Amino acid sequence: MWSSQTWILLWGAFLETLYMVGFSTILATLGGLPLGVLLVVTAEGHILSHPLLNRILGSLVNVGRSIPFIILMVAIIPFTRLVVGTSIGTSAAMVPLTVAAIPFVARLVESALREVDYGVVEAAQAMGATPWQIITRVLLPEALPSLLLAVTITTINLIGYSAMAGAVGGGGLGDLAVRYGYQRFRVDIMLLTVLVLILLVQCLQALGDLGARLVDRRRRGAS
Amino acid sequence: MIEVRQVSKVYQVGGQPVVALRDVNLSVRRGEIYGIIGLSGAGKSTLVRCINMLERPQSGSILVDGVDITRLEGEELRAARRQIGMIFQNFNLLQSRTVAGNVAFPLEIAGVPQAEIKRRVSDLLELVGLTDKAKAYPAQLSGGQKQRVGIARALANQPKVLLSDEATSALDPQTTKSILRLLLDINQRLGLTIVLITHEMQVIKEICDSVAVIENGTIVESGPVWQVFTEPRTAAARNFLRGVITPELPPEVLERLIAEGGGENQILRLSFLGEQAGQPLISSLIRLFDVDVNILYGSIDHIKDIPFGTLIVEVKGGGVNPSRLISYLRGRGVKVEVIAGVVEPDLDSAVGGLS
Repeated sequence: MWSSQTWILLWGAFLETLYMVGFSTILATLGGLPLGVLLVVTAEGHILSHPLLNRILGSLVNVGRSIPFIILMVAIIPFTRLVVGTSIGTSAAMVPLTVAAIPFVARLVESALREVDYGVVEAAQAMGATPWQIITRVLLPEALPSLLLAVTITTINLIGYSAMAGAVGGGGLGDLAVRYGYQRFRVDIMLLTVLVLILLVQCLQALGDLGARLVDRRRRGAS
Repeated sequence: MIEVRQVSKVYQVGGQPVVALRDVNLSVRRGEIYGIIGLSGAGKSTLVRCINMLERPQSGSILVDGVDITRLEGEELRAARRQIGMIFQNFNLLQSRTVAGNVAFPLEIAGVPQAEIKRRVSDLLELVGLTDKAKAYPAQLSGGQKQRVGIARALANQPKVLLSDEATSALDPQTTKSILRLLLDINQRLGLTIVLITHEMQVIKEICDSVAVIENGTIVESGPVWQVFTEPRTAAARNFLRGVITPELPPEVLERLIAEGGGENQILRLSFLGEQAGQPLISSLIRLFDVDVNILYGSIDHIKDIPFGTLIVEVKGGGVNPSRLISYLRGRGVKVEVIAGVVEPDLDSAVGGLS
């Protein structure tokens, strides 16, 4: 039905998407996780209570989340050039994707850690645990199921964003759908691309749910 | 072991100061089980949380084994906290760790080597009777089992003091009993000092040596359990005791008895502690004073392991000076409380030879 060329196009775009989204997810998690932890532990009355720092971080995150992605992408072009040497291409697209996702991840991490019963944190304090031990041995392991779901949500969100990044030369499936499907009226390619995206999102969500379920010990009978 | 001196704590709630503790003084001896009883909001939880600095008091000092814990910060405070175990109403176990993992947790953070951790965890699980649940997760356990894990975890670093924050309040009466027995067993076997807070006099009665009654942030009464139980001085203490050991006659019964006696009869509450509970008291009373004794109520109970008997009697006739009869009883080591009768109430306030 389609020429082999179409499949090659599709495969190339698929790999570009995986590359872009995969790396941005990893980088955004590396940035967003500590930020989310800080948002929790510096909150008033928590283990490293620092209300001023907490407010500043919270405002920064809100600012980051308010800027529309397409504007952010253009606005940070100088920064992107500084980091990857160019503002065009798949690697360049990863910079705005990561920057946009960090505050998003931070908020997801924050809400995941807040689910951990503060009584458990107090129990650890009463045993003489340091703040670092409480973060690494209580908060993060206890919130692991929610954190895995947070990473899943981030990944799927970044797939959506990556389509926009594609519009400025980032490549990937979204770009393919726009350039071939929309601009050249190849409805078949557009539908095919969308189908691949749907499958990708479904698989990722299922994988994330499975992972979260496997590490979740909160339910009765789970072992 | 623990000296709480002039401790005060004020919270700011919506800009308004709320006093949680006011000039609290408390002295817990080494190896005893000290109960603090109060209604919710009385400040008992704040008080016990001050002992390991989960709450910082604004003023006063708290000496734990001679060290003023209120002056400690950082690593010094953490080291001191490892000497103080704590168990909680909601257990506060790590859901992501197995039973063995939970017990190992305090050892890991204290930097105990793995081999040592393994050995100690298995000893502790044996102590609390959960060896077969080592690999289970908290979500798979019953409330009583969860609290046993909490106890094993609290004992892991071989503390000198165990704090119990309403540890049995979320448990059913049967499970409460078994957890209390475990605490008593640990107290006796390890010589561990235990401070527990509760709102149930039954808990105090089962295992405590001393008790303090807290009301509106102030200790209103404290002393050995038998003393507070047999001679409560405050309304707060009496309220907690109601229905636990001190029986009350129904008011209508009392009224009828007084009316029938025409002011001639005495209604007395006699309390016996320990050995005295076995004396043939009533018969000697009848013989010596030529009176009629009508037993209205009788019970025998235990305060921790001391037998404790109560009789409510009506004494009629004989024409004997009632205060002589009462002095006789007190001379035999019986505590006498005049519920109704001609004796002046101030005579009753004398301590009845229980000590």
